Amino acid sequence: MRNDNHRIPLLEGRRVSKYFGGLAALNEVDFAVYPGEIVGLIGPNGSGKTTLFDCLSRVQDLSSGQVFFKGEEITHKKPYQVAHMGLARTFQVIRIYRKLTVLENMLLSRQWRGETLWRQLRPSHRQTEERAKELLHFLLLDRLMHEKAGNLSGGQQRLLEIGMALMPDPDLILLDEATSGINPTLIETIKDRIRALNREAKKTFLLIEHNIHFIGDLCSRVFVLNYGQKLAEGTPEEIVNNEAVIEAYFGADGGENDVE
Amino acid sequence: MKGLKQIWRQYRLNRWFLFLLLVGLFALPLPQFVAPERKLVTNSLLFSFTQMFMLITLASNWNLTGGFTGYVDFGHAVFFGLGAYGTGILMNKLGWPFWPAMVVGGMISAVFAVLIGSATLRLKGPYFSISMLGTFVAMREIVRVSKPLTGGGEGLTLPPYLNRPLFYYITLILAILVVTLIWWIRRTEFGATLIAIREDEIGAEMRGINTTLNKITAFWIAAFLSGLVGGLWAYQNTFIDPDVVFFESRTVELVMMTMLGGLGTVAGPVIGAAVIYWLRDVVWASFFQYHLLVEGALLIIIVLFVPEGIMGALGDDSSTSLGRIMRRWFRESPKEGVA
Ligand SMILES: Nc1ncnc2c1ncn2[C@@H]1O[C@H](COP(=O)(O)OP(=O)(O)OP(=O)(O)O)[C@@H](O)[C@H]1O
Ligand SMILES: [Mg+2]
Repeated sequence: MRNDNHRIPLLEGRRVSKYFGGLAALNEVDFAVYPGEIVGLIGPNGSGKTTLFDCLSRVQDLSSGQVFFKGEEITHKKPYQVAHMGLARTFQVIRIYRKLTVLENMLLSRQWRGETLWRQLRPSHRQTEERAKELLHFLLLDRLMHEKAGNLSGGQQRLLEIGMALMPDPDLILLDEATSGINPTLIETIKDRIRALNREAKKTFLLIEHNIHFIGDLCSRVFVLNYGQKLAEGTPEEIVNNEAVIEAYFGADGGENDVE
Repeated sequence: MKGLKQIWRQYRLNRWFLFLLLVGLFALPLPQFVAPERKLVTNSLLFSFTQMFMLITLASNWNLTGGFTGYVDFGHAVFFGLGAYGTGILMNKLGWPFWPAMVVGGMISAVFAVLIGSATLRLKGPYFSISMLGTFVAMREIVRVSKPLTGGGEGLTLPPYLNRPLFYYITLILAILVVTLIWWIRRTEFGATLIAIREDEIGAEMRGINTTLNKITAFWIAAFLSGLVGGLWAYQNTFIDPDVVFFESRTVELVMMTMLGGLGTVAGPVIGAAVIYWLRDVVWASFFQYHLLVEGALLIIIVLFVPEGIMGALGDDSSTSLGRIMRRWFRESPKEGVA
């Protein structure tokens, strides 16, 4: 199913470029994620992964190029409109509402599509609250529900962000180094959850990860960026054996085979 | 400190305190009716309270955009001014009675807030603050040159209606209604959304919140309410001119009161306005030539020692500080988004 080019990509970037002054953080990157996939996005530090996420999710404007989601062009849409269409993400630099409680953070991340401001003056739906509590339970945060989010530890805040991304029941979830600083047992649980969401609920995932095991275990396809350009694309096995990738990560002499 | 707080909580002292305070405030003018000749409460005391109630209302309104939403508005007094002039013009030029004039004055402020907010609320941090300060100054000059309508620099006279107890009750009730409204807003999802925008606007937008719509809504609600206060102020003052209505330090005053009480809390602006108002009465009387110095020193003390205000010092952890809001400004430049 994965490389079935006859299907419409769920998310697609065409010749996406992004310049910061003279620096080309992204240079004409073509990129697509198909429905039902789990795609990994890797690359050395500063290779443009987060910038690509920002452009795809509309947090940053593109310097040139186009972005499509569900076949519709979203290049000039606002982030909240993209969110209503079913795209959710986490951030490498944590973005939570520190002065609100953990539960409030979750409730505010519900699905807002098609609702008027008037709705916001009434109490939240019971289902929304139940869903929030169920997710918090899964992320082992239920005991901290009424704590201010800013008082959580770094790892807990990351977990909360994952919960906030899952809250609106999106079709595509972008996770930017979501497992950094999280204890290994919980990473396994998250992995299982991602797999289950992918198989049973047909959710699509795009993951930025430095943890190659995480990528290898979950992803059917990996996309490698280097200096803002596509370096390679393929299955995890193909990627770890790709000469160009090894060179980009470890320099010209190859180095040890850490990418395993 | 801790022990005191526990006792306070345990006996629900805040409810009793609030109840007694309200009873006291409602009863205060009564001696004027029962035994006017004994002068237990003077008109000037009632006048002082009236001023304080208006400041409490204005500071609470300012807090809705500045404290909750994190958009530090240095020109909020423009809405007060529009309300004052709207009311003044309707009464003086068209002979309207006070009540409808005041409400229309508030509506003029609200409409102006939607128009100007659609432009300025797109700006972030200091750019927003400065653009609102510019709006405020520009409006004063517009009022000054629109002589046929506003009376220009000579100002407008409103039909005098000197009934201090009446103004006392109107402003007291308005203050109670506004504070209650803001308390209620804070408990709704809309209120939480405003705080989310302050805490992380990009995050809020990415999670499906139409931040622009929410910001503008908070902005016009605050503007409407401040417009009402402006109308009341104009009527009880019986005279308005550009310099007295669009008085520079009017906004700064509100910022300072809210900061002292606690940004982003419901009680903060109320406490801050009350403390500063009475402090100023004392300061004004005893150190007339130094009052600006004393107030400047107070501002520095707040920023350095009680950045989260009285509410924050009392352990209310929803209180925030200007420093926190400003750090966020500089972490996120407008277009470039995340690093
Ligand atoms: N807001 C910005 N302003 C200027 N330059 C930026 C900005 N954001 C990113 N860059 C630059 O763009 C390049 C790509 O950055 P990006 O954050 O996308 O890398 P990354 O692949 O996510 O790296 P990491 O693995 O360290 O997270 C870097 O050279 C970075 O310095
Ligand atoms: Mg990154």
